[in-house]
Amino acid sequence: MTQGQKVTIEFNDKIVRQFLLATLIWGVVGMLVGVLIATQLNFWQANFGQAWLSFGRLRPLHTNAVIFAFVGNMMFAGIYYSTQRLVKARLASDFLSALHFWGWQLIIVAAAITLPLGLTRGKEYAELIWPLNIAVAVIWVVFAANFFWTLARRHEKSLYVAIWFYIGTIITVAMLYIVNHLSIPTSLLHSYPIFGGVQDGLVQWWYGHNAVAFFLTTPILGIMYYFLPKAAERPVYSYRLSVIHFWSLVFLYIWAGPHHLLNTSLPNWLQMLGMTFSLMLWAPSWGGMLNGLLTLRGAWGKLRTDPVIKFFAAGVTFYGMATFEGPLLSIKSVNALGHYTDWIIGHVHAGALGWNGFMAAGMIYWLVPRLWNKPLHSQSLANLHFWLGMFGILLYVAAMWASGISQGLMLNATAEGGTILKYPNFIETLNAIRPLMLLRVVGGGLYVTGFLIMGWNVWQSIRGARAVNGSMEVFVEAPAPGESLGVRGTFLNAPVVYTTLIFVGSCVWMFTSGWLNLLGLLATMFCVLLAIGHFESRGKAWADWYDRLLVNALPFSVLTFLAVAVGGLIQIIPMMSIDRRLQTEDRVARVYTPLELAGRDLYVREGCYNCHSQMIRTLVPDVMRYGDYSRLGESIWDHPYQWGSKRTGPDLARIGGKYNHAWQYDHLENPRNISTGSNMPSYTWLMQQPTDYAALPAKIRVQRLLGVPFPSWSPAMIDTLAKTQAKEIAQELRAQGRYVDPDREVVALIAYLQSLGQTSQAPAAGGQ
Amino acid sequence: MSAMPPSTPPPEDSGIKIREHVYDGIQEYDQRLPNWWLFTLYGAIVFWLVYWFAQMLSGLATADGPAVDAAMGRIAAAKMASSIDVTNDAKFWEMAAAPAFTDAGKQTYTSLCAACHLASLRGKSENPAAVGPDLTDTAWIHGGTPKEVFATVAKGVVAKGMPAWEPMLGQKKTAEVVAYLLSHHKPGDPITVEVSK
Repeated sequence: MTQGQKVTIEFNDKIVRQFLLATLIWGVVGMLVGVLIATQLNFWQANFGQAWLSFGRLRPLHTNAVIFAFVGNMMFAGIYYSTQRLVKARLASDFLSALHFWGWQLIIVAAAITLPLGLTRGKEYAELIWPLNIAVAVIWVVFAANFFWTLARRHEKSLYVAIWFYIGTIITVAMLYIVNHLSIPTSLLHSYPIFGGVQDGLVQWWYGHNAVAFFLTTPILGIMYYFLPKAAERPVYSYRLSVIHFWSLVFLYIWAGPHHLLNTSLPNWLQMLGMTFSLMLWAPSWGGMLNGLLTLRGAWGKLRTDPVIKFFAAGVTFYGMATFEGPLLSIKSVNALGHYTDWIIGHVHAGALGWNGFMAAGMIYWLVPRLWNKPLHSQSLANLHFWLGMFGILLYVAAMWASGISQGLMLNATAEGGTILKYPNFIETLNAIRPLMLLRVVGGGLYVTGFLIMGWNVWQSIRGARAVNGSMEVFVEAPAPGESLGVRGTFLNAPVVYTTLIFVGSCVWMFTSGWLNLLGLLATMFCVLLAIGHFESRGKAWADWYDRLLVNALPFSVLTFLAVAVGGLIQIIPMMSIDRRLQTEDRVARVYTPLELAGRDLYVREGCYNCHSQMIRTLVPDVMRYGDYSRLGESIWDHPYQWGSKRTGPDLARIGGKYNHAWQYDHLENPRNISTGSNMPSYTWLMQQPTDYAALPAKIRVQRLLGVPFPSWSPAMIDTLAKTQAKEIAQELRAQGRYVDPDREVVALIAYLQSLGQTSQAPAAGGQ
Repeated sequence: MSAMPPSTPPPEDSGIKIREHVYDGIQEYDQRLPNWWLFTLYGAIVFWLVYWFAQMLSGLATADGPAVDAAMGRIAAAKMASSIDVTNDAKFWEMAAAPAFTDAGKQTYTSLCAACHLASLRGKSENPAAVGPDLTDTAWIHGGTPKEVFATVAKGVVAKGMPAWEPMLGQKKTAEVVAYLLSHHKPGDPITVEVSK
């Protein structure tokens, strides 16, 4: 290769510093909100009677802040720092970089205002309202444009493994985010998702699970691949492990979403895919852990002295622990115990605090001295941070394991020869885990204390320091001829062709019956043998092709996109293309009345789904406790679906008609009126605020547009129907000694709650 | 593990291929994939094949819904087999006189019923804001004979806010609660019809 002209490039490290400081600030905010809501679970009074401080509204703020604000900013800092150096190019556009930074911070501020106000879409980690969804998508595109433009201007032709993970992140998050946020607005601040019922649930967890995969995992793996060998000053353990675990990880992850819906009314084939693909994901995830930990071989001595290595080693270990626990929880029988309990909360915090939080800390401690050209203020404070954080996580996770397993066992326990539940009263199981929930507050408190110490340490380090931008001398090389792969080179080569054939063969095997099924199996096995034979004899060609792929950013991105898109296509398209009236299991919910719909939107606004499921699983203890298991048709008109993912309180799928209005009224006013020891907030504001009847016509119009069979009422008719029903309920309440204005929100919410589980049988086949 | 001096590479590194290309000072070994790791991956793939075949293709697996229905059927049969005659008033009065039943009934009452009918059983008579009516007086809304009281507790009066307790508690505990209620009454007490408020 001819040596070209030498130029010096100065990196845009200002943007890295900005994102790094934002990481610290939003990290503290997100974690403090977490400690507050954890406290509320023990002391319900900790919302101070304020609607905007109530658990159901702040829990989405906590999750969004930690995911998108804390890890988001950390990811951008790490990606921008490492990419510039790995591809030997300054970020393509200072304007796009600044737009990315300020746009993202504005979105976070807007989220921190709207979520406590109860402005939400009611889908986990996808709560932000539609104008903010558009803003997120636009800023993500800005990020993508800036990143890929930088790749286009790179002086290092070959893409390092960290860049592969960044590419996977950017493409996949864009795809997931856009599809799961498709909605039709009913007003400036409110919208309904276009998917409903099981379709919405499937799309939600395709997104939700892969937010974990492609927002919390792949970018951080990329960051690990840059910062960990840098800090350890050791070569990466194995390049071929990088190749195998990258491709298997991005391909398999996408399929695992349905493991969030195991034992529900989700069709069985999807549950099977969710479970088996989650198990297959175990090894690829551990490939990342191995490449991290084994890179530290020969650098273990630094573990004693360098806090950066401490954080990285512990972070990668927590990654390994969480990615073992994930497949374990995806086994249907384990999930029957753990799902809806604190075990899941413990699992995600092992990931968020252990993996994300510690990787962030390691990266920040490594970056600060380099970005401000001044040694870290105090090594011992960084060590203190490490031990506080470590102790905090262990306390937190152990408490949640104990809590989740205890409550799961209690909820499933039966007595008298298995004929009745041992603990029929849900509150007994809640009271049993209260001490453990308190330990969580302590663990979380220790963790955030460590984080605050880091904030102070960083502040002391950079106070008065002069920011410096890195620079590098590069040789401008003319593109070598024959490097470009082109379309043929991208697709027509042994690795891609064999992978495609094996994939098609196994899909034929999975989804057909009879002789075609056997053919699929034989074809798959034949292709596998052929591929092994080819690889054994012509392995060099495979390696050479991959080396060439690494200098072709666009073909690499296209193949990555195909690998991540295919799982979603196969799971989601069949569920979308079938008329949803056929996915009802012989039961169809009746359409909500206008007042019930208003009440449903209040249920979503208050975030009831954060603690209550509406999904009775196909499990004996669930059926004994809550009634007949839920059928798909019972949530068919629900935009958004409200199956839920956690039961801090009992399931509500069949709560309708179980108690009278007065019971519901008293319970909402102060749950402890009815259930001694309940930790549910008192919803006194529902007794004061008026129901928004005026919004109903627009809402029902959108519901009709989405295919929900509301009659074509005029706005005046809708108003009359809603007010008439509200009067009826208020009259009944008065007869029971509860005096409330029919126009108060509590009346609408009671109307909705009393409608839950009220189905009408489906008409005979072919009807409707 | 930390005994190793940081500067010396581990001995097993010798002879391992290191990739030529260096990215911003980062080098990469090209070590073989650990066997146990490969077996984990292959094992999971084999599990997928076998499990998918068993659950989806073999036709041997029972779907979740029918399996639960069958289990609930067995439970219903077991309950029926061990059930007592809940229409026998004399049996309930016997139970009401036996502390073994009334003590157990009181425990269930305190945890579940007292929220509406109050710990004193006096409900609205003690506090007009209480949800449930007085259970100690002789006026009954839904009938005051033991079998009628049992039926009310067991099946509930949903419109009035009284849940059906038998599905939740089972027959034995429900009968114990009824025994506890009856222990506040005497056989032969007058029974008057109360109109619900």
